[in-house]
Amino acid sequence: MKLVGIVGTNATASTNRQLLQYMQQHFTDQATIEIGEIAPLPAFNEPEDRAVPAEVQVLSDQIEAADGVIFATPEYDHSIPAALKSAIEWLSYTTRPLINKPVMIVGASNGSLGTSRAQTHLRQILEAPELKALVMPNVEYFLGHSLQAFDEAGNLTDADKAQELDADFMAFLAFIELTAKITPANKFVEKNQQFSWSQITDGRD
Amino acid sequence: MKFIGIVGTNAKKSYNRMLLKFMQDHFQDQAEIEILELTDVPLFNESDDQSQSPLIQSFNQKIMDADGVIIAAPEHNHSVPSALKSIIEWLSYKLHPLDGKPVMIVGASYSVQGSSRSQLHLRQILDAPGVNATVMPGSEFLLGRAQTAFDDQGALKVEGTVNFLDSCFMKFIKFAGIVAEMNVPDAVTYQPGTYEVTAVGHNGNLPMSVTLSDDRIEDIQIDTSTETKGIADVVFDRIPKEIIDGQTLAVDAISGASMTSNGVINGVAEAVKAAGANPDALKKRRAAQATAAQNITDITTDVVVVGAGGAGLTAAAQVLQSGRNVLVVEKFPAVGGNTVRAGGPMNAADPEWQNKFEAIPGEKHTLTEITQIDEATIAPEYLADFRALKAQITNYLKENEDQRGYLFDSTLLHRIQTYLGGKRTDLNGQPIYGQYDLVKELTDHALESVKWLEKIGVEFDQEQVTMPVGAIWRRGHKPLGDQGFAYIKGLQGFVTSHGGRIMTETAAEELTTTAAGKVDGLIAKGANNTKVIVHAKAVILASGGFAANTKMLQEYNTYWTSIDDDIKTTNSPAMTGDGIQLGTGVGADLVGMGFSQMMPVSDPETGELFTGVQVPPQNFVMVNQAGKRFVNEYGSRDELTQAAIDNGSLFYLIADDEIKKTAYNTTQAKLDAQVAAGTLFRADTLVDLAKQINMDPAALTETITNYNAYADAGEDPEFHKNAFDLKVEVAPFYATPRKPATHHTMGGLKIDTGAHVINTDGQVINGLYAAGEVAGGIHAGNRLGGNSLSDIFTFGRIAATSALNEEVTVPVK
Ligand SMILES: Cc1cc2nc3c(=O)[nH]c(=O)nc-3n(C[C@H](O)[C@H](O)[C@H](O)COP(=O)(O)OP(=O)(O)OC[C@H]3O[C@@H](n4cnc5c(N)ncnc54)[C@H](O)[C@@H]3O)c2cc1C
Ligand SMILES: Cc1cc2nc3c(=O)[nH]c(=O)nc-3n(C[C@H](O)[C@H](O)[C@H](O)COP(=O)(O)O)c2cc1C
Repeated sequence: MKLVGIVGTNATASTNRQLLQYMQQHFTDQATIEIGEIAPLPAFNEPEDRAVPAEVQVLSDQIEAADGVIFATPEYDHSIPAALKSAIEWLSYTTRPLINKPVMIVGASNGSLGTSRAQTHLRQILEAPELKALVMPNVEYFLGHSLQAFDEAGNLTDADKAQELDADFMAFLAFIELTAKITPANKFVEKNQQFSWSQITDGRD
Repeated sequence: MKFIGIVGTNAKKSYNRMLLKFMQDHFQDQAEIEILELTDVPLFNESDDQSQSPLIQSFNQKIMDADGVIIAAPEHNHSVPSALKSIIEWLSYKLHPLDGKPVMIVGASYSVQGSSRSQLHLRQILDAPGVNATVMPGSEFLLGRAQTAFDDQGALKVEGTVNFLDSCFMKFIKFAGIVAEMNVPDAVTYQPGTYEVTAVGHNGNLPMSVTLSDDRIEDIQIDTSTETKGIADVVFDRIPKEIIDGQTLAVDAISGASMTSNGVINGVAEAVKAAGANPDALKKRRAAQATAAQNITDITTDVVVVGAGGAGLTAAAQVLQSGRNVLVVEKFPAVGGNTVRAGGPMNAADPEWQNKFEAIPGEKHTLTEITQIDEATIAPEYLADFRALKAQITNYLKENEDQRGYLFDSTLLHRIQTYLGGKRTDLNGQPIYGQYDLVKELTDHALESVKWLEKIGVEFDQEQVTMPVGAIWRRGHKPLGDQGFAYIKGLQGFVTSHGGRIMTETAAEELTTTAAGKVDGLIAKGANNTKVIVHAKAVILASGGFAANTKMLQEYNTYWTSIDDDIKTTNSPAMTGDGIQLGTGVGADLVGMGFSQMMPVSDPETGELFTGVQVPPQNFVMVNQAGKRFVNEYGSRDELTQAAIDNGSLFYLIADDEIKKTAYNTTQAKLDAQVAAGTLFRADTLVDLAKQINMDPAALTETITNYNAYADAGEDPEFHKNAFDLKVEVAPFYATPRKPATHHTMGGLKIDTGAHVINTDGQVINGLYAAGEVAGGIHAGNRLGGNSLSDIFTFGRIAATSALNEEVTVPVK
């Protein structure tokens, strides 16, 4: 199984990156997890020519090649960081690699609530018609107090939290297999439609 | 009421922008709505804090000053656009201007349900503790099917929609009033003591000590030794005073020195925090402002001068020397204008002094070249002088045939070089060169200006004769001390100690005239909304040029193929051409307005010269955004500027570790900081460097390989660069982004040799004089480095002398 884990922040030090690195190591027998970074992407600015910046193409190719995507998002002001939103806007506006792609959302934050509000927003965003990702239902993985959550070797210090992640990850692998069976072969068709909001309102709304 | 409207997207075309513009217009009788755009807001990044950048600071300040904020948000992927999220993150990280601020949310989008999901997210975001805005509940204004909602004039078409918007907006005005009452600040108490903190100034850190008692800020001391003298002095006097007087941190930054102002404010905030109090509470405490009835000040004086820069203070000093009264009105809080920014040396031919210095290689060659100029290309009015100069040069060369010789100079050489240096042709094929009588006046009297300044108290370096950048010849008299500030310090000291009055923060807005059309005073807008009426026998305009007024530059430009809307400037932001408007308001004629000077190698963000790796031109390697060289790096300022404009303005100076060592402007620590801030790029290979700046690595590598080969051969078949020093070969490599910035305006009010302002009929306007960059005619198509200072001190004196002789000391007829 080949997965890509996207670090949901452009900050140089991030506990969400640490969480993905932990998963990469820890699940090495079950899957190869490549880490995808959004930091190199420019800020989304709705260019009229819809040109794809090279850095966006790199991320998009990583997603395209993967069987599933893990988003590890921090919470900034009760939502996802602008940098992650910007990366998603690029993908939705240009290459749209997330269509029908199985997605798992995890999140680390320094507060006690984890990233519940950001995860809810991210879910709603990924379900928007121009993204249409298949976000795994019923599973939310929050890592609170994330600055204290890892030991020096990068392992989760809290055994319960580690177990919870194991269970969630297995569920995700099962989810990927399941979706592979049920997603129709019309993926191709959908992808080739250039979605646009103006089109929706001009006829099919 | 004053509201800020934020266009919640950075897209070029936005219905939300249209909606805000409609509201701005439609509600103009109820409230003033200032619209802010997100176009230039960088993506929030915790590892690259830009809270102190001018842009984020301006958002912060404007929101703090407003009575409420209206956010017009589209919906992107069922949520708010990243651009909007990004500014909110900036305004919730180190700064919190939205805390307690009344906010109204509106939104336009394509689909029928408008931007409902985005608005819900936005409400949740604005409610987060770092933001803590007070969002108006209910009254959701969602404009669906936005593409059909507006007419050609940008007005909402459907009456019902307008009525609903009206009712939402009226509620918001009420809401903002109620929230304001809620926000009346709490009492603040401190752990008493003296706190050592650092403020971030323009040039680095400023150590401060702040003394607090139980309930008051008692004292603020700042170590200012690292700041550029002159520019920020007023900050150190005034900001601490305002903070202490008002016991508030809600004091306004000083125009032209906002970075240092905010540094001081933040420093005090840090101390307040260390003393256990919440600085935000102090930021909300508005100093009681006297906005009552407009005060009118009426002043009568002999001469009134507009602008306290070099020309203005010179004129004022000259008036005082003859025992008359003078008033100087100055728009900015600090005196000095562009003159404090100048490099320092002023040009004046002083052969007696210059002859003591040895000639240097190349100078004889320059002289020989002058003698070889075809006389047919010399304007007739300059021909006699040109011939006389040729004779001088021929004599000198003969006399020094077998020896190195001394440094030659003469008034004639200065005059002819000023003439040749200013000769240009614009895009319409219109040639221009300096007006003979004015250039003669300048070059004949420049040396007297040096001597006069010495008497006023400006000391010059006798040991060194310098060639200011772009000056062509070594005739620079360099003041001792702090560059341009040395002149201002001397002049300001003289003016204030001899009874002259300088009113800062007083901007002249209109000239007054007698029925016969003689100028007899002016009306200015003073500090705290006062109106200043000045009656005078003569008015001298010395308000500088208009290089900080992009619109005006674009309007008159006939020389550059284009001037970008977002072009930066090396000038003080005060240089908006006010004096030119004042003059044309009473019929003045203008000359040479199409010609402006650019500084080709300026910082793309700030216009400053001294960032990045700036090296001597023999070590410059300039490449465009495609990674290719595009010009002979030895070209004149004009050539480099036009080539940059032709290549999309932004270009890079490429350097390696050895070239870096020849930089004259920087230290390793500064470079490291700029690399960290993302304003300078560094990599161990050219390929990585190219990637960082989105350049084709193969193109850059090829360019550098070729450049190095040309340096080896001493010949550049592509652009004919003829002097090389170092190659680009030792890692790490640097790329310094550069763009041309506006630097000087040669055009301006038409004057004669007596500094009288001339009207469009060619007649003198009685009572009105002009000196300095506000006047045109001398430098024509290109000003030589160091000539502007000669100009302002010479014509500043001439303007005062004419005014005294004609209007002040003569008995009334
Ligand atoms: C970075 C830089 C470096 C330079 N280096 C050199 C150099 O090395 N050599 C050289 O010869 N030249 C140099 N120049 C050019 C030179 O400094 C200026 O041309 C010169 O100082 C202009 O002097 P001034 O007295 O005409 O105007 P300024 O010194 O600019 O003064 C004008 C004053 O008028 C005030 N003012 C404007 N409008 C109003 C109003 N409505 N009411 C009241 N006051 C008003 C302004 O606030 C300002 O204080 C440089 C310029 C810059 C920007
Ligand atoms: C602008 C900003 C806003 C934030 N808002 C929230 C928030 O609303 N809720 C929360 O739990 N943490 C918030 N945080 C704290 C982050 O959760 C914390 O920085 C976390 O470590 C980010 O994840 P990372 O380690 O992967 O960067 C905010 C941080 C920043 C910089």
